[in-house]
Amino acid sequence: MEWDYLTIVAVSSLTSAAVLIIASLGLAVIFGLMGVINLAHGEFIMIGAYTALMTTRAGLPLFMAIALAALITALFGAIVERLVIRYLYGRLLDTLLATWGLSLVLYQTAVLLFGSTTPGIGLPIASVAIGRYSISAYFLFLIAAALVMLAITYLILTRTIYGMMARASIQDRETAAAIGIETGRINTLTFAFGAGLAGLAGGLLVPAFPATPGMGIAFVAKAFLAVVVAGPVTLTGTAVAAGALGWVASATASYLSTVIGDIIFFVATILLLRAFRNGISDRWRLKL
Amino acid sequence: MLSYLCSRRKIAALSIAAGLLMSLPALAADGTIKIGSLHDLTGGLNIYGIQQAQGLKLAVNDINSEGGVLGKQIEIVEYDTQSELSKYTQYANTLLLKDKVVAVFGGLTSASREAIRPIMHRAKIPYFYNSLYEGGVCDRYNFITGASASQQLGVLLEWAAENYGKKFYIMAPDYNFGTIAATWIHKYAKEMGGEVVGEDFLPLSASDFGPTLRKIQQSQPDVVVALPVGANQTGFMEQFAAAGLKEKIGIVSTNYGSGNQQVVVSPDAGEGVIASQEYFHWIDEPKNEEFKKIWQAAYGDKEPIISEAVDAWNAAHLWAMAVEKAGTTDAEPVIDALESGLSFEGPNGNVAFQPGSHHLKQNIYIVRGNREHGFDVVKVFKSVAPTYEDEVCDLTKDKTISKQFVPE
Repeated sequence: MEWDYLTIVAVSSLTSAAVLIIASLGLAVIFGLMGVINLAHGEFIMIGAYTALMTTRAGLPLFMAIALAALITALFGAIVERLVIRYLYGRLLDTLLATWGLSLVLYQTAVLLFGSTTPGIGLPIASVAIGRYSISAYFLFLIAAALVMLAITYLILTRTIYGMMARASIQDRETAAAIGIETGRINTLTFAFGAGLAGLAGGLLVPAFPATPGMGIAFVAKAFLAVVVAGPVTLTGTAVAAGALGWVASATASYLSTVIGDIIFFVATILLLRAFRNGISDRWRLKL
Repeated sequence: MLSYLCSRRKIAALSIAAGLLMSLPALAADGTIKIGSLHDLTGGLNIYGIQQAQGLKLAVNDINSEGGVLGKQIEIVEYDTQSELSKYTQYANTLLLKDKVVAVFGGLTSASREAIRPIMHRAKIPYFYNSLYEGGVCDRYNFITGASASQQLGVLLEWAAENYGKKFYIMAPDYNFGTIAATWIHKYAKEMGGEVVGEDFLPLSASDFGPTLRKIQQSQPDVVVALPVGANQTGFMEQFAAAGLKEKIGIVSTNYGSGNQQVVVSPDAGEGVIASQEYFHWIDEPKNEEFKKIWQAAYGDKEPIISEAVDAWNAAHLWAMAVEKAGTTDAEPVIDALESGLSFEGPNGNVAFQPGSHHLKQNIYIVRGNREHGFDVVKVFKSVAPTYEDEVCDLTKDKTISKQFVPE
């Protein structure tokens, strides 16, 4: 096979991996770290996407719109935590039901507000040529965006006082409270942070994946699998799991078919969970 | 597996029970005539389902305001099938057993039609499927108001070959609509001395089309026949354009626009995409202006009207005409009336049921995407017959047949 095809497959599979990492990070914080099964994750992405869409159409530059998407979704996440989630910590099935209900409400609200079709932003028509092939420049940018998102999240949660308090509040709530951490407020912040990451994902993805009320559903199943495969070292684990699974599925799809790519994704997930009962990061020494 | 078998058996039992019950007269107690509506009002397929249901409602209001049928008002019993296949079987049975409707309108994907069709066939209730599709269905109780592949694809591929070339690449959804449509594309390509250089079938959940775009570039077609279904697959047009492929490769579709995808797709990506269907919002037909006025009075003008909405409008009117002609809502006389060569002036011109195949002879419009999230009409083919269905299916001769023909 020619060099340019090999390169384009490698690079474009990286972009697929990046998309999955971007879509999964918020879930890694809320589900992986906090243990809240957030079935409304897809709708958080959708909120970010519509925020970015509406603000760009109101004249804001795309990058500011994306930042605003993260902010608005984080605010929304904080409200959801205060009103619903805070009463349900440690009750896995209850959070599952509550967030599923929330996702239905959000989905239908979007249908009522925006209808089933809304004019999109569209991708910048800029492509990069590799030999005889070309790839969208925005997708290449998404690779960088995924790395930056990951690095910043990692630094915030491991190198800041807030990050330390956040992890303490989750690991041992009573002891954390005993040494003077306001665990309630910290948990609200962490949930909002996770929601903000989902909103950021929506903003970053909306040029390539048109905003529709159900857009989050396309990402949410694979994002959940990535976080489950990741295991205890949530953040790095999710990035590695999402990256590897996304890359392999996309590369397979480039040679065979998209359906076989999906099958490989799910089979690989099953095999990994057979081999690593507690997730791939079970014995890693990283903090997060 | 066990639960799967159980549910199959349950469905069979329910359907038989439905068949028995349906031999009873099906008029509602308060003197209205009940018809069923099964559409995806939520989920990824609501880009079609909401308007299909609205088109049906508008038609029923229209008929009711003229005095209804047989002097009675029509009442719609509506269920949201939620873009889920299992809901179709469930609610189809509910419509028959609980609501006792005399006709059913609904379904979008071919998978959903194939879920409803056998139930209606056993219950002997006329079922109107109002969407463009891959063609070939032949069933006494099934009436199809959308265009079939042999109506749309024939003219579209000919146009594509003249304007772009004869090397085709197929991007299609991975279920019966996509795979059968692909068979048609292979057949037409072969007949015109062209070639299908590659194909990719995608799950409805697919939204990242990187791998498909790589394969398209590798096989170097003149034109891509793209059949994106559902909200997720709309992104294909965007990603195709952003990868810089639009200048080199043409893109044609039989269903792009049928879910208002051109509204979502940006002007840069949507401009120049060629589509062919039995109706577009922008066509110039005498009844279309009038229809658009009623529609916009009821639902506003935020979204262009899609072909499936018009299919549903035509279906309800044709059914009402048949009921008037038969003088009853009983299935067999109504079907005989529908097979008597009924025709109707719809927003998309004259549509006429072919007695043998239960498909409509209707206009097919070839359009080109513009920068205003709309289409410009390029060419109109008047009264295109469903040639393939007419050739393989004659329900006036064989009333028991119930199958879908697929080209070799």
